[in-house]
Amino acid sequence: MSLDTAIETKHIIKKYNDFVAVNGVDLKVIKGECFGLLGPNGAGKSSLMKMMYCHSVITEGELFVLGLNAKKNFREIKSKIGVVPQDNLLDSDFNAIDNLRLFAKYQQIDDYTAAETIRSLLKLLKLEDFANSEIETLSGGTQRRLAIARALINSPEIIFLDEPTTGLDPQSRLWLWNFMKQVKEMNGTIFLTTHYIEEAEELCDRVAIMDRGKILCVDQPRILIKQHIGDEIIEFFSNPVDLNYYLNRLKEFNYEYQVYNNMVLVFLKSGQDSKKIFDIIKSEKVTVRKPSLNDVFLKLAGYNLRDE
Amino acid sequence: MNNFFKTTLTLAKIGDGYRYIWYRNFLQFRRTFFVSLFWVILEPLMYLGAIGFGVGSYINNIKGQSYIDFFFPGLLCSTAMMVPFFEGTYTNFTKLTFQKIYQHILLTRITPQEIVFGEMLWATSKGYFGVLGLSLIALFLGLIQDWHFILILIVLLITCWLFSCLAMLITSVAKNYDSFIYATSGFIIPMSLISGLYFPIEQQPLLLQIIAYILPLSHSIDLCRAILRHDFMDYRLYLHISYLLFMSYALYNLSSYKITKKLIR
Ligand SMILES: Nc1ncnc2c1ncn2[C@@H]1O[C@H](COP(=O)(O)OP(=O)(O)OP(=O)(O)O)[C@@H](O)[C@H]1O
Ligand SMILES: [Mg+2]
Repeated sequence: MSLDTAIETKHIIKKYNDFVAVNGVDLKVIKGECFGLLGPNGAGKSSLMKMMYCHSVITEGELFVLGLNAKKNFREIKSKIGVVPQDNLLDSDFNAIDNLRLFAKYQQIDDYTAAETIRSLLKLLKLEDFANSEIETLSGGTQRRLAIARALINSPEIIFLDEPTTGLDPQSRLWLWNFMKQVKEMNGTIFLTTHYIEEAEELCDRVAIMDRGKILCVDQPRILIKQHIGDEIIEFFSNPVDLNYYLNRLKEFNYEYQVYNNMVLVFLKSGQDSKKIFDIIKSEKVTVRKPSLNDVFLKLAGYNLRDE
Repeated sequence: MNNFFKTTLTLAKIGDGYRYIWYRNFLQFRRTFFVSLFWVILEPLMYLGAIGFGVGSYINNIKGQSYIDFFFPGLLCSTAMMVPFFEGTYTNFTKLTFQKIYQHILLTRITPQEIVFGEMLWATSKGYFGVLGLSLIALFLGLIQDWHFILILIVLLITCWLFSCLAMLITSVAKNYDSFIYATSGFIIPMSLISGLYFPIEQQPLLLQIIAYILPLSHSIDLCRAILRHDFMDYRLYLHISYLLFMSYALYNLSSYKITKKLIR
């Protein structure tokens, strides 16, 4: 394995009893990149990530973090990574600063270094006013910042964030985005999951889209859009009577499209001409727009709701 | 079955992470010191007053002793059972399920085995705190006159450990808090009634005597009394010690294995 690989999974599988949550995932995360994992509810994102931060047993396959085998050297791995789990996992028996102090103890950081680090982290994450507050009294955003401070206490080489911005207000989210950009500038490796596709597009160097335990695609957002959608999307509504006619014509001219209720999305590859489409669909209201990662996501994962 | 014996008898490798688990609990204990003090020491003290001195004043002698001298070693053993038991069940179950404290600690380099060991050490310490507090008071009341009492303190330490392991085992199989109500009312309390705490075991039907000796509390109590009687030639004393040591060892391994399986899935 090369030195610049941060995380490598080799066909890993996670089963809960008979239920397969992660079904043979091969991934490689490069040091210094921000890697985003997208997927609908229950796709297996958290399950995959938990194996990476050695919080759950790997059912099958191999997993290496910073060149260390997750099945054997999990202690070393855990001392080199920082984790912000989906549910924060703070110690509700202690106040904010004691949470950090205890965590530093668990990580076996000496008291002097810990005190210094905690002081600078409280400042960095704007937690100074909350240092002596009990956990229950903190807002969701503050708890999340505390969990992030905690994850940074051992100056980790990789930081794992499971849905870091879920449940945060727009200000906190923006703040967190900037923060992650700073981490990236300091050459930290970030592995995050998110439901906000704009967030992945904005922050991540590469993203993977996951569904039903499998990775559907991995690449830079720009390339994924180009590959799976193309240059432009043409969107129009059609009444059910005319729909079939339109679809047949689109097929005839080799356009790729997707239908959702009465809405038709035509994916325009580079080199394909949009004029023909306007000829086909004369009477309807048509919009042309730039494709986003969201379109890739909906194309690959489908429009259906995921009820577990 | 083979597997069962293997997990019961092989000792897990423990790093020094358990110290920080103990330390966490100690910090919390320090904050709630007076509440803890109240129920850890004052509760057994009330029993000492009500049963030992109160009821005891109606009993002239029991096996050649005053009732309070008969009752006091038993009360120490029951304190060494109750305090670790409650710490290891209610408190640890809350940490395991609702507070998810163990999941939180597992984000660090500390292993599940270290968590379990640290927790048991803590429950033992807290129980021992009660035992020592009670002993200190008893010393002022003139109930302790024999230097052999020091040997009893060792037995009580083992007892605290044994019951903190047993509590952890129950926590590992508990579904909800009701499980502990069953464990307390259906197991711990009846055990304390038949194990010779309040009256000699021999006074009971044979069946109850047999059950009493299958369970651990009777061995602690008998051992403490035998030590205070200086019965060191009695082979039963050594059977009691062996029983307590073996159970401590086996229960520790079994509960460590069970909790670990629950923590890392
Ligand atoms: N401890 C567990 N025991 C049994 N099944 C589980 C467990 N954890 C997760 N699952 C199941 O595994 C599947 C994947 O769960 P996971 O939490 O990894 O999804 P996710 O992609 O993180 O979803 P979300 O976006 O909702 O967080 C789900 O169907 C879930 O019900
Ligand atoms: Mg999740």
